[in-house]
Amino acid sequence: MRLHRCAGRVSILLLMLLLLVSPAWAGTVVRVSGWAGTDVAIVEELITRFVEPAVKPYGIEVRYEPIAEDFSTYLFNSLSAGTAPDLFYVDIFWAEPLMAAGQLEPLDAYLQRSEALSKEDIIPSLLEAFTYQGKVYGIPKDFNTLAVFYNKDIFDEAGVPYPDESDTWASFTDKLRRVSRPQEGIYGIALAPEFARFGAFAYAAGFRLFDERGRSDLSQPGFVEAFEWYTGLVDEGIGILPADIGQSWGGGAFATERVATAIEGAWILGFLRDQAPNLPYGATLLPRHAGTGQRGNFIYTVSWSINAASRVKEEAFRVLEALTSPEAQQWVLQRGLALPSRQALLDDPYFKQATAEAQANLVVFRGASEGNVQPFKFGRYGGDWMTPVNEALSAVMTGELTPQQALADAQRRLDELTGR
Amino acid sequence: MSDAIARRRWARAGAIYLLLLFFSILFMGPLLFAVLSSLKDNPAEWPPRLDPPQLRWRNWVAAYRLGQAGGGSGWFGAFAPGAVVPFEVTYEVPAELAVQGIELPRVAVPRRVPGAGPGAVRTGPFAADMAEVVGPSIASRQPGPDGSVLVTYRFEVRHTGQITVDRLPVDVEVPRGYRFVEATLSPNRTERLGRVQSWNTITPGVIPYVFYNYTRVFGENYSRTTGRNLFLTWIGNSLWVATAKVLTTLAFASMAGYALARLRFPGRNVLFVVMLFSMMVPSQVTFISNYLVLRDGIFGLSRLWGMPTLLNSFTGLILSGLVGASAVFIMKQFFESLPKELEESARIDGASPGTTFRRIVLPLARPALGAVTILTFQGAWNEFFWPLVVLTSPQDKFVLMVGLSTFRRAYGAVGFDWGPLLAGAVVAALPVLILFVVFQRYFVEGISFSGLKG
Repeated sequence: MRLHRCAGRVSILLLMLLLLVSPAWAGTVVRVSGWAGTDVAIVEELITRFVEPAVKPYGIEVRYEPIAEDFSTYLFNSLSAGTAPDLFYVDIFWAEPLMAAGQLEPLDAYLQRSEALSKEDIIPSLLEAFTYQGKVYGIPKDFNTLAVFYNKDIFDEAGVPYPDESDTWASFTDKLRRVSRPQEGIYGIALAPEFARFGAFAYAAGFRLFDERGRSDLSQPGFVEAFEWYTGLVDEGIGILPADIGQSWGGGAFATERVATAIEGAWILGFLRDQAPNLPYGATLLPRHAGTGQRGNFIYTVSWSINAASRVKEEAFRVLEALTSPEAQQWVLQRGLALPSRQALLDDPYFKQATAEAQANLVVFRGASEGNVQPFKFGRYGGDWMTPVNEALSAVMTGELTPQQALADAQRRLDELTGR
Repeated sequence: MSDAIARRRWARAGAIYLLLLFFSILFMGPLLFAVLSSLKDNPAEWPPRLDPPQLRWRNWVAAYRLGQAGGGSGWFGAFAPGAVVPFEVTYEVPAELAVQGIELPRVAVPRRVPGAGPGAVRTGPFAADMAEVVGPSIASRQPGPDGSVLVTYRFEVRHTGQITVDRLPVDVEVPRGYRFVEATLSPNRTERLGRVQSWNTITPGVIPYVFYNYTRVFGENYSRTTGRNLFLTWIGNSLWVATAKVLTTLAFASMAGYALARLRFPGRNVLFVVMLFSMMVPSQVTFISNYLVLRDGIFGLSRLWGMPTLLNSFTGLILSGLVGASAVFIMKQFFESLPKELEESARIDGASPGTTFRRIVLPLARPALGAVTILTFQGAWNEFFWPLVVLTSPQDKFVLMVGLSTFRRAYGAVGFDWGPLLAGAVVAALPVLILFVVFQRYFVEGISFSGLKG
């Protein structure tokens, strides 16, 4: 009798267990999402080549949903509606609000248990970008930094040595001055009036975005010095705004062969491959600041993050492991599509190639670990932080205001924004 | 006297005609310019040329011949095993360089993939691996009056491999100062201050040469989940959804319109007012509730057919647009304009309302049905926002307009590569354009029946 009841209980327990594990047999679906574009081709390829073979044994089915329209809007909306995918891109530019709101799953525990992926595999500055209050909220999938791209033809014709890693701002400026021929429409450098480029120089000079009280101080000596140097290049006729030669960005100006250098990231490579396949370019690290002795740079990066409200977090992490596996990242790198985030790839044979593209990618790859490197994010303010600074840069570079006036204006508006 | 009147009449006709011409250019101009730009290598070039090389008949002839020389057809070209492609390029060498002797150019077949868009991921066979350049040699020299020399170089590209490739890119590099004059086929771009002339392919065939961006749109976009050609799939999806919507609209709008126009039943006017009211509510107000209804499969009804949700399915998209109030309204107005005597005589002859409707009224309603067909098709084909919300994955599910919007990121944001984007937009606009030109009359009628647009 007692035995009978016991057996009954055991069978019920067994049944419940069966019910619990049955989804794994039936196949769990992990929804993966990112933005559309070239990424679609890459991610689809990664899923069929690397992810599906790796996660099939666990009964995991991957469903990839690229988003054609504005991805951040879609993600914020679907997170609040509860329809968000399990695993998705998070751009560093708008990562902080998501991390602060607890919408993303902290990955530390998963990383500790994981055999395929650990924190040490990833370039530290990238991981740092997705760390919030001591917890990791995303595994960077790839990244970009800024580098100096130079047109060898222009330097050769002027008989000037190419920019190189030992350049300081002064020697770099000197080289640009010697290749500039404004009367012929050849300029030393294309300078976008944007913090997204100029900020790298401010960081080199020791600029800090926020002080302890959360205020942004534009009167820091580093910032002012960088600002005057950057805008002074235009004053002197060495630098030109891309808009002044009918282009919308530095890369476009570079492709016209009318500027000797441009400050861009690896995204310029695909553009040049299309628009100027024969342009003999080289790339080198940004010049050092003589005072601090270091370079500055931005890190633009995107992570794979897991939805905190997901029901299949363990499975999503398995998919994440496969997406960021050494093989997958190497495949992406070999095609020159993006710069993967694993440190070990620095020794990849791809970087040993003599092609301009591989060399430029190597410079951009190294940019992440040289000097004062800051992620491209602005606390909880996003792009709003940059607006006053961009307008100050524009106003000075087009000769409307003096640097002092423009910076005073920008400071006032930033204080309004931060409320400090 | 009558002369003066006639003159005045002609002057007035001329003025009206000029005004019409002005307006048609004003409205057609952007479209024509987009079509022109979609043929260019760099649609964003400044200043914009009105005569891109793709529109010169000499290049058409050359593209045809070179396509055949490459072992393909004259229309589509290729670079096939055993092909020998002859090519000539002419430069003007200025006097001060000519005295130092004429140098030979450097001819290379580069390994080239598109920098942006889905094509960037492709790792196809490259012409560079199986092409051999023979030459170049100097074919002719013509001294000019000022000591300059006109030099024509000739070279051949031979296929030494086993695989047919679709394109044969070529770069020709000359010393600085040589001025390019002409070539067998106009180059796609000039680089390095005139030192390099570069061709996307020198065995194009007419269509890939003239419609290069179009061939990219159709050729580069294939789905990695099913391997199908994405752009054709999108066109097919759009056609299928639009056709289905037209059929359901015709059926329901004609029946509902007839009922509202002719049948007497309680609540008829209320129903009509409610219907009119539904036209006044902007779609932005209702789309979230529509979305939720589709998400739950119309209150769970779709589970009966084994669909837990209607999102991300054509069924959901078609069901949510079975019939529009405006179509019902057009039909109702038309039926009210029909003489009642016809239906009365049918009733006297013993026809039921159903028979009357089918045999008498519908055949008479052809103009109205035509108008509804055109307006519905046009609306369904151009619809963007709702399909964007409903259809999410995989990309094979998209309708053309949603697919087109992915190009903005795929080509535009990465490489500022506007050509394929423009080409895709032109292709998407064509059906509606043709429809409009052929059925203009019905558009106007549709508006005049209802007194309102759409």
